[in-house]
Amino acid sequence: MFDRKGQIRIIEAFLAVGVIFSALLISFTFPASPDLAKQKSLAQVGMQALMKLDTNGTLANLVEGQDWTAIKESLDILLPIGVAFNLTVYDENRQQVNLQPIRNSNLLGHESVSVQYICATRNQVVQLFLLRLQLAWTT
Amino acid sequence: MKHRENSGQILLIAAFIMASLLLSAQIYILDVGKTTSETETDSLYEYIITIKLGSEHVVTGSLANITNGGQTSILADNLQRWSDFVGAQYRFGKNVLNYTLEENALYSAGIWTHWGISTFGVSSAYASFTYQLSDREVELDQTYPINVTTKLLVRSTYQTLAGNEKQVNVTVNVSNEANPALAKQITIYYRRTETWLAADVTSNYTFVDYGNGTYRARFQADIPSDTVEVSAHVVDQREIYVRANATSTRV
Repeated sequence: MFDRKGQIRIIEAFLAVGVIFSALLISFTFPASPDLAKQKSLAQVGMQALMKLDTNGTLANLVEGQDWTAIKESLDILLPIGVAFNLTVYDENRQQVNLQPIRNSNLLGHESVSVQYICATRNQVVQLFLLRLQLAWTT
Repeated sequence: MKHRENSGQILLIAAFIMASLLLSAQIYILDVGKTTSETETDSLYEYIITIKLGSEHVVTGSLANITNGGQTSILADNLQRWSDFVGAQYRFGKNVLNYTLEENALYSAGIWTHWGISTFGVSSAYASFTYQLSDREVELDQTYPINVTTKLLVRSTYQTLAGNEKQVNVTVNVSNEANPALAKQITIYYRRTETWLAADVTSNYTFVDYGNGTYRARFQADIPSDTVEVSAHVVDQREIYVRANATSTRV
């Protein structure tokens, strides 16, 4: 009887070690690096959206006018459904221009990609801006 | 005695709890880590288009400034700022953007303005750019010209109504880079003795926008001379100013 109890303890201990070991194994097999091809296509979508806005100088003029709502609405239209974005605008001296966030949802918890875009206003007083657009698929 | 029998099960339960703690901690770290491990993936092709687009905007804005009374040197100043700005971006490697302002019979310091007495007026800016990118993997040398031109063509006819009263027709054509373009503002003037007067305050002034860069103004005015001179002052959608004068043809 005593011997059998000892064997069960050993089996239980093995089982416990097995459970912890498999938990560690599962945690190490999680994908550590994001899908680069998917990210590249998302970056291209973002870049093309900014380029489309910038073709006739609209983008830089909206930035100059600090019309963040119009920029957000434009990106909402130009970007595919299911893409979350966060745009940060810097001036020529690398100072952040937008004091309020330009985004449609929170990027936290999503694999994101970032593109940088430089643009100039075509007004009589030329201003230069650097835009950093972070994008992520939410679906 | 009961406690001793259940100790193995407690060990298993404890192992399960530890395993779930390990897994949930790993999932949390992975989820939070996704935003911090973002990558920057631009394409070189699109980046070059961006630089060209920016160069065009800078030239356009500078021309708008100059034609509205600004110094000619503003073009060189703005392009130098743009070159420095591009050079400060370390995208794909070391960026160098150089520019040369056009100098020939028409252009001086990259600017050509012709607002003379002929029937056409021109406001133009011309610069050539050289973009160089050097990195361990990429070596690029690209040259591109940027020519921003707003052209105006004015034609006019008149007929005498009674005495000095004349009915004048003025047709205006606006173009950007040789393509029909819309104007933001057009003001028509006529010459009465030594003074230029605005036509839109005269009686029966009508103005038609054909929507294709062609505009037509018609007005009646008291003009003693048989030589009727008109002038069109135009600001296009890019805020570039241009004007041209024309002598009306009697019909």
